Amino acid sequence: MGPLFTASDEWSFVIALVIGIAFGYILESAGFSSSRKLAGVFYGYDFVVLQVFFTAAITAAVGLLFFEYFGWIDLSAIWVNRFYTGSAILGGAIMGFGFVIGGFCPGTSACASAIGKIDGMLFLGGFIIGVVIFDAFYPLYDKFYKAGNQGPIKIYESLGMNREVFLLLFVLFAIFAFVATAYIQQRVSQKSKKY
Amino acid sequence: MSDKRIIKKRYIFMASVLTGLALLLVLLPEKHTSKELKPEQLLQEINDNTRYVSTDEVAEKLIYGDAYLQLIDIRSFDDFRKFHLKGAINIPLDSILNKDEKGNYEYEDILNQDVKTNVFYSNGTVYANQAWILLRRLNFKSNYVMKGGLNRWIETVIQPQRPLPTASQEEFYLYNFRRAASMFFGGGSVSSVAAEDNTPAPIIKKKGGKKEEEGGC
Repeated sequence: MGPLFTASDEWSFVIALVIGIAFGYILESAGFSSSRKLAGVFYGYDFVVLQVFFTAAITAAVGLLFFEYFGWIDLSAIWVNRFYTGSAILGGAIMGFGFVIGGFCPGTSACASAIGKIDGMLFLGGFIIGVVIFDAFYPLYDKFYKAGNQGPIKIYESLGMNREVFLLLFVLFAIFAFVATAYIQQRVSQKSKKY
Repeated sequence: MSDKRIIKKRYIFMASVLTGLALLLVLLPEKHTSKELKPEQLLQEINDNTRYVSTDEVAEKLIYGDAYLQLIDIRSFDDFRKFHLKGAINIPLDSILNKDEKGNYEYEDILNQDVKTNVFYSNGTVYANQAWILLRRLNFKSNYVMKGGLNRWIETVIQPQRPLPTASQEEFYLYNFRRAASMFFGGGSVSSVAAEDNTPAPIIKKKGGKKEEEGGC
């Protein structure tokens, strides 16, 4: 089975739209259109972002490996982005700064804009300006952008680990992160109540 | 403050389920998941002719020293030793799917990669096509077939026929290229082609490294 649709399929834009709406709906339902909630992860009073994304990652990973085991999906047909070391580190740092300063990431800013939040619209506008600037001056940093191309590498491959063992460790790490952040969140909220 | 008040019971349940499932994935016996190409897709690829490379294209790449071209002679080792194209390596058709002691394909490093362009040839097209189909079925990439094989190579590159005076300009351009190529490869006869590559046959690094290439098709 699977993939049900390929990138060249004429239905791919329709499918992308449906998935995008569903994704936006879930983000909004989880409260991710609030920059206060999103920025909470950096200040220790709300770790719901970390918890939601960790849950999504481990649920999807476990589900996909079972799907593959039962022959319902061909994992080799799933597109994996190429990993460029330098640009991944720099891009990650810029993304992190943008997140902590603006209180949104690109997807959640679109979500906030959709429900009429002005800060979300400003963030989205800045995001678009950034894309235009990146595009306009692209040849300048072409070499850096493409340096350290490691192909569509996966973490367990780079560690030389068995895929299933890595997933088990990742699930355990996620649970540990859940418990640890819950403690931190409680401590921070108790502290803020005192004042 | 106890754990129970921080972590809700349903979260503990979900965490246990996910841990259990992940553990189950580790413990499940390894299942051979086939990476083979689906018959429908294979049929589609067989019907389109994108796998073919013309002898002229091969000649051009050889003349310009294209480092990404890897010619693979799938005839027998004896035939290969008597005569082969410049830079070709020999992987006889009947040993193309040989496996090492670990059960991996011996020639997978060569036949399934995305750096070089492998071009198979035999005397005609049939055996090279068979090799291509076998490898596409296994979803191996970067493999092509030299259309017409060595027979076509001789006809077109080594002994090109002069086009009729009424032929188009393109045909004359092609003829001139072929004549130049013929001179490059020592042109004129099969024996002279055979003589053009006096360098020892390249050694293929196999995974197992024990068996010699032998046999024929």
